[in-house]
Amino acid sequence: MPLATNPRGPQARRILVVMTGLVLLYVLVAFRLFSVMVLSGPELAKKAERQHQRVVLLEPRRGSILDRAGRELAVSVEVESLYGVPSEIENPHRVASLLSRVLGVPSAQLERRLDSSRHFAWIERKLDPERVERVKGLGLSQREVGFLTESRRFYPKKRLASHVLGFQGLDGQGLEGIERRHEEALKGEKGLLVAEKDALGRTIVSGDRNFRPPIAGHDLLLTIDEGIQHIVERELDSLMAEYRPRGAVGIVLDPRTGEFLALAVRPEFNPNAVSEHRPGDWRNRAVTDAFEPGSTMKMFLAAAALEEGIVTPEQTFDVSEGFVEVSGRKIHDVHRYGRLTFAEVVKKSSNVGAVKVGLKLGAERYYRRLKAFGFGEKTGIDLSGESAGILHPLKSWTVHTLPSAAIGQEVGVTPIQLAAAAAAVANGGVLMRPYLVSEIRSAGGETLRRFGPTEVRRVISEETARKLTRILSGATEEGGTGHKAALGDLKVAGKTGTAQKVNPQTGRYSTTAYVSSFVGFVPADDPRLLVLIVVDEPRGKIYGGEVAAPAFRRIAEPALTLLGVPPARPGSVVTVAMGPKNAGESVKR
Amino acid sequence: MKGVDKVLLISVAVLLVAGLGMVYSASGVMALKKYGDSFYFFKKQLLWVAIGLSAMAVAMRISVPTWNRLALPLLGVTSLLLVAVLIPGVGAEVNGSRRWLRAGPLTFQPSELAKFALVLYAAASLARKGPERIADFVYGFFPYTLVLGVFLSLIVFQPDFGTAVGIAIVMLTLLFIGGARVLHLSSFSVFLLPVIYKLVMGAGYRIERLKTFVNPWKDPTASGFQMVQSYLALGGGGLFGAGLGEGKQKLFFLPEAHTDFIFALIGEEMGFVGALAVLALFGVVIWRGSLIALRMIDPFPRLLAAGLTLVIGVQTFVNLGVVVGLLPTKGLPLPFVSFGGSAMLINLIAVGILLGLSRKPA
Repeated sequence: MPLATNPRGPQARRILVVMTGLVLLYVLVAFRLFSVMVLSGPELAKKAERQHQRVVLLEPRRGSILDRAGRELAVSVEVESLYGVPSEIENPHRVASLLSRVLGVPSAQLERRLDSSRHFAWIERKLDPERVERVKGLGLSQREVGFLTESRRFYPKKRLASHVLGFQGLDGQGLEGIERRHEEALKGEKGLLVAEKDALGRTIVSGDRNFRPPIAGHDLLLTIDEGIQHIVERELDSLMAEYRPRGAVGIVLDPRTGEFLALAVRPEFNPNAVSEHRPGDWRNRAVTDAFEPGSTMKMFLAAAALEEGIVTPEQTFDVSEGFVEVSGRKIHDVHRYGRLTFAEVVKKSSNVGAVKVGLKLGAERYYRRLKAFGFGEKTGIDLSGESAGILHPLKSWTVHTLPSAAIGQEVGVTPIQLAAAAAAVANGGVLMRPYLVSEIRSAGGETLRRFGPTEVRRVISEETARKLTRILSGATEEGGTGHKAALGDLKVAGKTGTAQKVNPQTGRYSTTAYVSSFVGFVPADDPRLLVLIVVDEPRGKIYGGEVAAPAFRRIAEPALTLLGVPPARPGSVVTVAMGPKNAGESVKR
Repeated sequence: MKGVDKVLLISVAVLLVAGLGMVYSASGVMALKKYGDSFYFFKKQLLWVAIGLSAMAVAMRISVPTWNRLALPLLGVTSLLLVAVLIPGVGAEVNGSRRWLRAGPLTFQPSELAKFALVLYAAASLARKGPERIADFVYGFFPYTLVLGVFLSLIVFQPDFGTAVGIAIVMLTLLFIGGARVLHLSSFSVFLLPVIYKLVMGAGYRIERLKTFVNPWKDPTASGFQMVQSYLALGGGGLFGAGLGEGKQKLFFLPEAHTDFIFALIGEEMGFVGALAVLALFGVVIWRGSLIALRMIDPFPRLLAAGLTLVIGVQTFVNLGVVVGLLPTKGLPLPFVSFGGSAMLINLIAVGILLGLSRKPA
């Protein structure tokens, strides 16, 4: 179409003029683009690069870790960090030597940090308030140095639950425990600032356009109860003092849900001063270390035997010889008995009886039940470095494995596996996944995620669980190995263990090094607490019934009070309401 | 679709696709952090494109006489909406401006509608009066200055200075095309100058923007920040760009990377070559729009086509001019490309009308 000679008069001419003008403006944009992108491109690109390097990251406030009642176990407090603007510092030597005296850092080292043309350099981070005041008192120019607020991890209860909490590394990330496992939720989002020069050539480190504030991390609500945790910590302290063992673990679970109410480990460490401890101190042995449990394992042997229907509690076994021989290996009892019922085998913890039950049960059935209880696999707890323990696959079992496993040898369990498995017995036969974190909350207090009880599987029938509980209650009565765990009239179901440790040099069982343990739950007929005590190489006394069982009592008694479970007094009358038929019926206890 | 201007249609389609890609690239990281979904803005934009294309298809089928009849009622509705948006509680306030009407999850900017309504009104009225009467000051020219004055005042009240200036430019140009005398236009512009001066000097941030425009490097941390960051993004792009999704400026430095400054990101990621291609596509849109206008035999469709082409063309130039530093900073989105619903809807309706007009003699 011949546009220039368009016959439609002045409007068409004016349209042409306007649109040509507009297109010319676009051409102008194109030239401008060429100038900015191609001609000045490399120089601008370099500037952009330098800008990206001038970015200073600001740490967000890390989320708090709270106990089940919201009490603070780990918090972040705001602290001041000192930075310098090297490009503004005329005399780095003078500034360095002034700061050196206050900060206690060698002057030469500070001078190196300040002697450059950069616009930003950290001088010393996370200073205590006293040193902040002293630096401010030096009268240094605000153009040369300044403070930025950062955060610092603080554990107000010091060593309380330190192995659960873990701690924070120097560069801010969680290194152990919950701090590490829930790093993503806790850490928040880093802020940024860009150090730039303003019109007068000053470097400025604030302003709004070149500053993005950090975003606080989420808070975690644990299942841990600070009060019960405190009781367990105190009890482990007295065990450490009395028996000077290499280590100890105390666990309290709610068997109905799998919630950890307390988890304490020795050796201890203070997360506020991690550098004063060795790595071995902060290792959470409750999840990382497997041990041979010894007789505690008879609880699960009994569960398997009852569930498979190969014994009844009243069935008797002849243990009068005091030993039993399997393929040339003799297994002995500590005491000599005549005939024992199955219930008494558990109560007195007879090795001979246990081996006989084990042989009757057979390797395949025993192995299957142990696996169902969760041995040989991780519980999936939210702590790092969990060990799966040792449960050899059935095909590599030798003739000695079955009798050994029947008395808790040749199997390795972690304390949390043991606690979780025993809790399954307390919970009517259903294995629950143990857990530590019940809720993730935003910094504003809004619930973001909730974690509840998780059933893993039914391991034994309710009927078996009830029978077993009755047998285990016998173990804490007069004449039982665990009688020192007894709690007056509140029935305790439990099992002791005294396991010989394997001497790593000889590869044989030691006659001096033992692991004493006790695992039990209370009240036996309506369990609220499951407590596991493991003491590694106690000195003086070695038996689980002597070392660990009393600790159970000293933990369970005050813990039940904290939970509001009333102690049953002798002769007290309890009204049981179980439905219309039994309504109002009085039962003498 | 038969007989419509395929070149115009394809150019707009390519711009829409490029826009969706760049909106995702610009906002993905930010959206993931803020909303936990990197496609947050992309999905919203996709929805608006779908709504816009449907509206376009409808607009294409509406006949010329119908548009002529709609002109005045639409202007009335628009003025009501512009008043409504100023009422606290009705208009949503964002960053100190009342520019949006909210209906559930959707927000709408009446000032975008105003562009369209004013062009439609002016085209209808100019066509009715004819060149002779328009040349007359009292009966021809003056009434337009009154209408324009009322609308611009309402928009400046929001405040949305950028859109007001954009509308003023489009309207004065359209009056020029319609036959207004250059003497009238220039004297009106001279009258407007002190008003603009007063508005600029009355708002601190506008002075800042102006100073920044003169020399953004003087204070790159505060007011010049956006400008400088835009330059750095473009410079970082070089000839061929950093590659799609590779732009660094959007992560923190370039504010409004998915809206007003999306062209800087296009430059950074697709380079000079890519930016020039996008610019050329807009050039094609103006060329085709002008062609459609020139082919019209009746004055109303001719002026309407020219006006709609101007709406798109002027807004594009203002946005690009700001990004490359030819104009002081204004908050105007890039048609078809920037994130934002109202502008997308209105611009696609404009394209729909142009496509409808482009059909072989109806």
